[in-house]
Amino acid sequence: MACIALAAHGVEPQRFENGLAWLSNVRRPDGSVPVSSAVSSPAWPTGLAVLAWVCGRERVGPRHEPDIEKAAHWLLATRGCRLPPTDEVGHDTTLQGWPWVEGTHSWAEPTAYAILALRAVGQAAHPRVREGVRLLLDRTLPSGGWNYGNTRVFDSTLRPFVATTGIVLSALAGERSAAPIDASIAYLTPALRDVRSPLSVGWGFIGLTAWNSRPNDARSRLARCAVRTRNEQPNTLYDTLLLLAAVESCPLVRVTTGDPHG
Amino acid sequence: MDEANDKRTGPAHGWKPSRREVFGVGGALLLTGGVLTGLRQWKRHERGLRADVVIAKAPGYDADLVSLVGDGVKELGIDRREVRGKRILLKPNLVEASTGRTHVNTDPAVILAAIEVFRRLDAREVIVAEAQGHRRDSLLVLDESGMGRALEEADAAFFDLNHDEFVGVNNAGHWTSLGSLYLPKTALDVDWVVSVPKLKTHHWAGVTCAMKNLFGVMPGIVYGWPKNILHHQGIDNSILDINATVKPALTIVDGIVGMEGDGPIMGSAKRAKCVIMGRNLTAVDATAVRVMGLNPYGVGYLTGASGELGPIHERNITQRGEPIEAVRTHFNVLDLPHLRSIVSAWLARKEPSRPVSERALRRGRRH
Repeated sequence: MACIALAAHGVEPQRFENGLAWLSNVRRPDGSVPVSSAVSSPAWPTGLAVLAWVCGRERVGPRHEPDIEKAAHWLLATRGCRLPPTDEVGHDTTLQGWPWVEGTHSWAEPTAYAILALRAVGQAAHPRVREGVRLLLDRTLPSGGWNYGNTRVFDSTLRPFVATTGIVLSALAGERSAAPIDASIAYLTPALRDVRSPLSVGWGFIGLTAWNSRPNDARSRLARCAVRTRNEQPNTLYDTLLLLAAVESCPLVRVTTGDPHG
Repeated sequence: MDEANDKRTGPAHGWKPSRREVFGVGGALLLTGGVLTGLRQWKRHERGLRADVVIAKAPGYDADLVSLVGDGVKELGIDRREVRGKRILLKPNLVEASTGRTHVNTDPAVILAAIEVFRRLDAREVIVAEAQGHRRDSLLVLDESGMGRALEEADAAFFDLNHDEFVGVNNAGHWTSLGSLYLPKTALDVDWVVSVPKLKTHHWAGVTCAMKNLFGVMPGIVYGWPKNILHHQGIDNSILDINATVKPALTIVDGIVGMEGDGPIMGSAKRAKCVIMGRNLTAVDATAVRVMGLNPYGVGYLTGASGELGPIHERNITQRGEPIEAVRTHFNVLDLPHLRSIVSAWLARKEPSRPVSERALRRGRRH
């Protein structure tokens, strides 16, 4: 994510090339990028690594093309496990999407990352991506927005999260507008006013920007959040998200949008 | 006829055992039976495990919780000599952002009281840490639960275990098939992990209290949001493995306002007006379940822990402070087939609807 943010802000290539090279070193022969070089799984960051290599492409050249190709291949081969249909939860458990950890069920955030990455490498029309989009729409909460990826447990309808809603809206950028997306934008716009944490603020603005719904005062609100973060909780991930959200044409969306049907 | 050859042909061919052999085999059988019976008894008696549990009445969060927790810790035999110089990690239940819903998370007042008690006992450092199961945004949860502001005022550090550096350690339990568990370095670097849960029902596990709260030590970066690997391995099995491996030193349960019904997030507030403490989390959870008017033998991870990680039989738990009957408050549980075994009609009948009389207490103690 830091590489993507630095590239988006026009920082000279050598400043983020080390990061892209580090990702290449961590990448395993099967194309996956695990959470740490010390383990082979889970590899949910693979989608984010693809985005970083693609975003860096125009600044550092094609040197990471083999990384992109292998990682995309791994993503297409990886899927969440189906669960038998059940009344206990509200979502369609037979849709596969992408899991956090290989061999487990699919959830919203890893599915969104995989869709963003596969769109970025021109696979928007791939059946796996189309199924992933169906999964995200299936898991939209009745009042709009997304949480970790479930709508109901037993008789209780669950609540949406600001950050996940922003992430999923980014992944759906380029799709035709639909009622669940409109409802989610309608949820996110006011909900974003009530949160101060950089993770939610950052992803919230990225999601709204992806659907041309960016509030006019976005920049000043992001600046306030950045000051608070600097003072109270300095953290690279938070800085990265706020930097990404500050770009009015978000690079995540720019490299991934296009005709979803190819 | 050669007697030795006869023996080899066996009884079908006319072999008759000698008196010595009869007594020998009989003795061996008796001995084996005795040993097996002894082992069964030993297991039934939870392998001799015993534990103390302290129950303290607490009418609200504005009560003097520092004194209450301090007295409880003292009752458990924890003193300055034992705590001095230790780094202590308090693990609250901060499961969800919860503006206006104080029954969802461990109340900051209980955490602040525990911090103060351990500081007064000369702990080197007291930190607070959590790895929420559904939310990646810890700062949001800290903001909305009021915990962030409370910790700031107490000058206590919070660690986000979801994104912490992690280390693979041998799974000390083996109830699941996981050979290793990945634990946050922060949790491994402290001397004591103290579980500070909320007293709640749980729509999958039945009850979530001291032991289940340690699910929230496991880093989401490895296990996901939710921690689906652990669900696939079985929630009860995972709770047992995590507890066997993390080896928590103490628990302080926020039972002042708990949750009933569709816990751990969507349920309703339920006031039990108590704090429950103990060094053995299994014993504390068994007591907590009894306080909720439920049946500990219907909670899968408690029957699994019985005699392995601690005792759950009342006769093996020494109740200190208030008796269970003095604070017992019936918690409603969702009417689901997998939860029916934790609803005990017998215990429900014993629920005091008014302040408990001495007679009622005596009647309760007979059981």
